[in-house]
Amino acid sequence: MRMSFWQVTMKRSVRLSKTYFILGVVMTVYGIILSNVLTFVPANLATPTPVDLTNSFPVLSVALLSLSAVLFSLPVVMLFVYDKNSGVLEYLLSTGLDQLDIFKGYVKASLSLAAYLLVFSTITNSAVGILLGTNLGLLASMGVLTFAIGISEVFLVTVCMMAFSSLQKTPMGANQPLGVVIGVIPMFPALILPLIFPSHAIVIDILIAAVTLIVSLALLLSIGRLILREKLLP
Amino acid sequence: MQKLQLQEVSAGYGSEEVIHRISLEMTEPSIYVVLGPNGAGKTTLFRTICGILKPFSGQAKFDEMDLFTSKEARRRIAYLSHLNALPEEMTVFNALKYYADVEGGDVEHVLDLLSLSDLRDKKFSSLSQGQKKRASVGKIFLRERDLYLLDEPTSNVDPKISKEIRDILINLSKDKFVLYSSHNLYEAREIGTYLILIKNGELKFFDKIENVKTRQYRVGIKTLNDVSKLLPESKFENGYHVVTVGSPREVAKIVNNLVKLGAEIVELRELDNPLQEFFEEE
Repeated sequence: MRMSFWQVTMKRSVRLSKTYFILGVVMTVYGIILSNVLTFVPANLATPTPVDLTNSFPVLSVALLSLSAVLFSLPVVMLFVYDKNSGVLEYLLSTGLDQLDIFKGYVKASLSLAAYLLVFSTITNSAVGILLGTNLGLLASMGVLTFAIGISEVFLVTVCMMAFSSLQKTPMGANQPLGVVIGVIPMFPALILPLIFPSHAIVIDILIAAVTLIVSLALLLSIGRLILREKLLP
Repeated sequence: MQKLQLQEVSAGYGSEEVIHRISLEMTEPSIYVVLGPNGAGKTTLFRTICGILKPFSGQAKFDEMDLFTSKEARRRIAYLSHLNALPEEMTVFNALKYYADVEGGDVEHVLDLLSLSDLRDKKFSSLSQGQKKRASVGKIFLRERDLYLLDEPTSNVDPKISKEIRDILINLSKDKFVLYSSHNLYEAREIGTYLILIKNGELKFFDKIENVKTRQYRVGIKTLNDVSKLLPESKFENGYHVVTVGSPREVAKIVNNLVKLGAEIVELRELDNPLQEFFEEE
């Protein structure tokens, strides 16, 4: 059966490093615990706090679950650097692919991997929450937020990491962590603003996710045009 | 009629120009050997022809299609770089299938063509250098192209496989363009019809190899009887009477003369490759 470029890339990434997948799953489990932990706190134990913990605390897990998706998809970008250094990208270019085709392939692979984990974490989180009696509305909004922020984060991190890896002169991929740092910057407002404005938490996070997605898409199209084919040579 | 055409092409990396105003026109399917010292610009020339590098100036076309902008033109070109460029973590079959998935092609045909069936399920990373090269060469034969660019395809490959690869290329060159870079001058002479010489990024020679003119030609003549008196100008080295002449034609005259005078010639050997002097400093 013939697979498309991004599917093969995704499959190769899974084989490349299992550590990141395990880390991603472990962080997902943490996220699920975090989002449901308040169920165990007796209602009469509530102490006066400057923020509404019952509604805002589970939102913290959105950041954790999104970060786990970033970790889960990191091997795709590691594979990108490896393929650049080993001449695989050079060969792909010679077959008629453009740099944008190549970038898109790795982004699709990265987003697909992230989507698998996010679907898994949303379903598991909802199931656990229903069993423990967590507020259904909260679970639903967390599912939406986790997916929106997670996908947009992964998109931005992947594009940034590929851009930095392509532009650096030494072929070691040492600039990749810069991509992670820049990519997770939108996660901080997505984490803090809902705590300050709990009544607008969902709108704020959806907006941040939408802006991140648009920026990532613009960045992808830009690097596809601005980064020359020669930057993908070993 | 297919035609590869480079008009005043200058290309390189970033702002550094590596090849300067190269003009070539290839209209005859054949093997074109690209020779030049290290750093001469051979790889840059190949990367420009296969559309990876955008020329700083000039035009590179295949069948009147621009090689940088036309995907169709690029799909008709196969490029084998000096790197293996196969995913190390995969088996030989899966590594070739990876490319077949991306660009189409028949993996089984390649395994058969390059005698790779024994290595089919071996991890690419576990292969010897020669086996890796052989598997790497395989990817350019996944599907048929019109122009093949091969950067030292037989380096690290044992003589038997080298010959097989050369035979495939010779067969291909009947109706395809094959550009072949090599440091092996004997191999270049053996398979090449045309010679493209590049030095310091400039085209120094482009013609049929048979038209290569040399400053001198050294030939060793081995005989059963002593011919030192018949060849007073020669030197005796390692069992050969070594004569230095200006062209191969003079060798024919000397040999004819020796035979007439009763020399029993058992071997004639070219001691220097005429292409050798292209590598020497000007």
